[in-house]
Amino acid sequence: MEAFRQEIIVGAVVAYMAFCVLTGLWAMKRTQSSSDFFIAGRGLGPIVVALALFSSTLSGFGFVGGPGLVYSIGVSSFWMVVISSTGYAIGFFLVAKRIRMIAELRDCLSLPDVVAARYNSEAVRFLIAITIVLGVMGYLATQILAMAVVMQAILSGTTMFSDIGLVTCVFISSTVLIFYCVTGGIIASVYTDVVQGAIMMIAGTLILFTATSVFDGGMQEATSIILADDGETMMPFGAAGIMASLGWFFVFGLGLAGQPHLITKMMMNRSMTDNRKILPMSLLGYVMAALLWISIGVVMRAAVIDGVIPPLDQPDDAASVFLSVFANPLLAGIVFAGLFAAIMSTSDAFLNIGTAAIIHDIPKAVRGHSLNNELFWARVVTVILALVAASFALYSHFQDATLVALLGAFGWGTFAASIFPVVAVGLNWQGATVAGAVTAISAALIINFVVQLAGIALPHGISGPLVAFVTSMILFIGVSLLTRKPDLPADIDQVLNL
Amino acid sequence: MLRPVINWIFVISLTMGLLMIAIMAADTVPNSGGLAHPEHAGMQVGDDGAERLDSIGVFAFLFQSLLLSLVVCLSILGVSERRRSPQLLALMGASLIFMLFVWWQMYSGHQAYLATGETGYFMGFPTATAWQVYGTWLGAIPLILIYSIGFRKYIYTKEDEAAFNKLLMETRAKNAAAKESR
Repeated sequence: MEAFRQEIIVGAVVAYMAFCVLTGLWAMKRTQSSSDFFIAGRGLGPIVVALALFSSTLSGFGFVGGPGLVYSIGVSSFWMVVISSTGYAIGFFLVAKRIRMIAELRDCLSLPDVVAARYNSEAVRFLIAITIVLGVMGYLATQILAMAVVMQAILSGTTMFSDIGLVTCVFISSTVLIFYCVTGGIIASVYTDVVQGAIMMIAGTLILFTATSVFDGGMQEATSIILADDGETMMPFGAAGIMASLGWFFVFGLGLAGQPHLITKMMMNRSMTDNRKILPMSLLGYVMAALLWISIGVVMRAAVIDGVIPPLDQPDDAASVFLSVFANPLLAGIVFAGLFAAIMSTSDAFLNIGTAAIIHDIPKAVRGHSLNNELFWARVVTVILALVAASFALYSHFQDATLVALLGAFGWGTFAASIFPVVAVGLNWQGATVAGAVTAISAALIINFVVQLAGIALPHGISGPLVAFVTSMILFIGVSLLTRKPDLPADIDQVLNL
Repeated sequence: MLRPVINWIFVISLTMGLLMIAIMAADTVPNSGGLAHPEHAGMQVGDDGAERLDSIGVFAFLFQSLLLSLVVCLSILGVSERRRSPQLLALMGASLIFMLFVWWQMYSGHQAYLATGETGYFMGFPTATAWQVYGTWLGAIPLILIYSIGFRKYIYTKEDEAAFNKLLMETRAKNAAAKESR
């Protein structure tokens, strides 16, 4: 079997991509309207929503960057994983019920739709839509680049494709992504998410068993080796220190309820009462998949320190080197398919919300109504958005990474800082005002932009997104308390009271 | 004055902001955010943990304690005001105590390691780290249980469901009438 390692990996990835294409074709028949395209007609069952929710949470960053971060800074990066229970709990307490209610009551297709209904304000809709578009571009570009880099690494190991270029890999991977997103919209996305989520759970669990068998003494021997080398790296705050760690708890924990690609999925379930099942199922799935993040990172750092393997060229190689050195070829095939699954499940979610913002929300905010024939334009804009993001990705790789890095600043942290107060708090507090929302969103965007543009390094490992998040929370509530309590539409007022 | 939970959330956020400013103004050391590993490129080390916690340890401890309080206050905010019964508040209070206990075990375990250089192990990790890995994750499980098990009692009761369905029907009838008149 070892002799066919590369063929097995390529076979697993090709089978996975063929599945995505077939799902797109199947979902095309079920996509008859823009409501089907963007929110699956609010008809999804609890297992589908749960798997779609957690698989969109764990992107390619979790499968590649996560183990790399543990290799690099030790336990500090565990904080991004262990907060998942807090993050999901907050997300469901604050968002799941009311976003679903408002979506049904007002026939909302997108998060900005819900926000516009809640605040009775097109200005807030516009700001949220712009934030989403900027964030989506950065996220999508990095995801597409990651997908192409991994594909190139896999294919270049075979005789037939040994000279394959990055541009070709961007083309192949983007084509598959675009195909199923354009044909099947969110229906294709969520059903591929189900399989993607299942693959990620299996991969995470199997990797844990493989990782614990690398050292005779299991995980304890690995952690002892790291501890003997540098105690702080294996202690609760890791090499990056206490404030970097607690900042991640804040931004990744609370911030989960501010991620538009995740909370939009909370609008799609068939029944509100399913939320009680979706929450624990999502969390279980996430924990199983994230085992890969921690176990690979710890074992690879220990293996390098102990001289079992040579040092890595770069931390992000941790997962791929682990798979090639320690994993059975079949497991490597499943994990590589899982890696594509992780990247694609996040990318399709971003494509969907980005398209909704462009063809539905921004025209509505500016002209008072969305485009005619939304379904047609949704498909056209999905293609354009993916092509622009792929171009950004290639430009960033070959020419200048600044633009994508800048857009990348509109990642998780910016979504958390600008969207969490306005949506998560605003959906539960009638005193939240338009002035509070506009101030909070603007402050979050400005702080993140300035910290990123000026390359400001804050002391003690404090991050720009943490400062932006705390500031936007204070401003949102403070300004709302100082401004006149709004007269809410009767139906929204009633929903906020339920 | 502080009875509405939003006021608590505001006060906690404001205090956390002030603590963050105090931490940023505190003396810094070269390894506060980590140093390059002396042998292996791509790895970082934390080096002297006691030194880098010296000026900010207490502030950071308070910051996280407030953050955990914020998590619980936000969870309470997510429950309709009419459903915030003494029983719910007691359950939320117990959840907060559990989370603070885990946090204290983690922090004090780290302090003990810094003082002695010795640690026990639990399920593969040094004790303080085990509190972080397993304890932090389990810390929010009571909140998840309150949500899932108490869903029909606190989150979306049968009366809520009936009221929402009534509102939905009224809205749909109003929209249909408006459409017809056009």
